[in-house]
Amino acid sequence: MLFWLIYNDFMLILGIETSCDETAAAVVEVKKGRFLSRANTVLSQINIHKKYGGVVPEIAARKHVKNIIPVIDQTLKRARVSPKNIDRIAVTTGPGLMTSLLVGSQTAKTLAFAWNKKIVPVNHLKAHLYANFLHNKKVIFPVVALIVSGGHTELILMRNATSFKKIGQTIDDAAGEAFDKVAQLIGLSYPGGPALAKLALGGDATAFAFPRPMLDADNFDFSFSGLKTAVRYAVEKSPRLTSPLKKNLAASFQQASVDVLVAKTVRAATVYKAKMLMLAGGVAANVLLRDTVTREAKKIKRPLLIPDFIFCTDNAAMIAVAGYFEKPVDWDKIIVDPNLEI
Amino acid sequence: MSTRQTAYTTSGTETKALGKKFAGVLCGGDVVGLFGDLGAGKTTFVKGLAQGFGVRRVVKSPSFTLMNIHQTKHRGIKQLVHIDCYRLTNPNQLEEIGALEYFGRKDIVVIVEWAEKVKRLLPKKFLKVYFNIKKGDEREVRFG
Ligand SMILES: Nc1ncnc2c1ncn2[C@@H]1O[C@H](COP(=O)(O)OP(=O)(O)OP(=O)(O)O)[C@@H](O)[C@H]1O
Ligand SMILES: Nc1ncnc2c1ncn2[C@@H]1O[C@H](COP(=O)(O)OP(=O)(O)O)[C@@H](O)[C@H]1O
Ligand SMILES: [Mg+2]
Ligand SMILES: [Mg+2]
Repeated sequence: MLFWLIYNDFMLILGIETSCDETAAAVVEVKKGRFLSRANTVLSQINIHKKYGGVVPEIAARKHVKNIIPVIDQTLKRARVSPKNIDRIAVTTGPGLMTSLLVGSQTAKTLAFAWNKKIVPVNHLKAHLYANFLHNKKVIFPVVALIVSGGHTELILMRNATSFKKIGQTIDDAAGEAFDKVAQLIGLSYPGGPALAKLALGGDATAFAFPRPMLDADNFDFSFSGLKTAVRYAVEKSPRLTSPLKKNLAASFQQASVDVLVAKTVRAATVYKAKMLMLAGGVAANVLLRDTVTREAKKIKRPLLIPDFIFCTDNAAMIAVAGYFEKPVDWDKIIVDPNLEI
Repeated sequence: MSTRQTAYTTSGTETKALGKKFAGVLCGGDVVGLFGDLGAGKTTFVKGLAQGFGVRRVVKSPSFTLMNIHQTKHRGIKQLVHIDCYRLTNPNQLEEIGALEYFGRKDIVVIVEWAEKVKRLLPKKFLKVYFNIKKGDEREVRFG
């Protein structure tokens, strides 16, 4: 494996991602173990430019069907790569919705058949971590990584580039989900995570003593549903949701979430003797989370990697990077698994 | 328990226990709709219900993933399909996520959070559980 990794020193990988809301494709160039995104297309990002953070995702496999070929076509053109130069195709096979996953995997199979290529089946969650390998970042193992997205909150131990062990996870709501739901409770429109973070800037994070769920528990699991409910109770107790009150609620909730996320990540890094910390997933865009992890990582003298924002949320470049590490197979060996775990 | 009964719980643990008990009255092919606001205890209830069926995996909120399918340790009921319509903006999306094919199957129980959003796509005689937040941690759980 190692031999192969070192000597296979130039590769072009086409990544395809349709596991959830985004239709995405990317071409990643691998050169001497370094990863460069040559083109990275995420369909919903076209709208994000219009009104940042205000996009209501479309949950429609039908949308994927309509968009997948144009997205791939555009990506290949922008990367200036012709199909014959693609070395392999990487596609998300789980976790995600069956109907959405099938669009990506069937497209990958069809292309692999027509172009005579091999396919690498990719775990979406592992791929979120591989986003940290993009653009010349050097990774030192063992790594303790926190995946924080809309659907997941997981602590992962990586002993090398292909070894993943889940050491903790949310037992109810994911962190991003809690941000969105609390945002709704204080009257922001869906998905309110980014808007809540903005609102929190002007608030007092000590105004409400929200719980830090599972902070002292003797494991690396998280829980956010109780925090959500605590905010609900605070809202109901207040006679009127004034603007300063909303800011304080937002700031206090954000602080509580970030406190637990960071404390447990840092504790895991110490316990598992990690040489590096990583952040991944959409909530990694949260500035308080980034700043706090950065500060705490410094305190324990561990380097920290956070992907560029465009590689934090769902994208296909991270799928392509994952495609470098896993074994390519024939198109007829590809099976999707909605419940795939790390 | 299945028709017109109301229970009161004062903690998440009690709501879980209620869910576990409810699992005992369900039959394969049942579709259960859960109604109630954010934080009312729907997912908590499903956690207990899953326990009742011997689901091993942690039952997490499917708000983002939309549908989680759990294997059970139950004789007749092999799968618990946990759907969450929180993010759906149109009832037809229930069909697009591939949920309908699980309805009415003899070896499957389907449970749907935010059922009000997709009522017209649920089977005619689906079971209903309503969650009401009372004072503090008290919840009224009504089976209708
Ligand atoms: N600045 C921010 N602060 C807090 N939350 C944020 C911020 N920016 C985005 N989020 C949240 O991140 C989540 C989106 O993350 P992401 O796009 O990674 O989810 P996803 O990839 O769809 O989920 P998954 O990978 O679990 O299927 C949303 O809940 C959103 O509100
Ligand atoms: N009596 C109760 N029943 C259910 N949950 C309760 C109760 N009291 C407090 N809680 C807490 O409220 C939260 C309910 O959240 P959750 O089950 O995710 O709600 P929903 O799925 O309806 O949004 C949990 O953290 C739970 O511990
Ligand atoms: Mg994702
Ligand atoms: Mg819920």
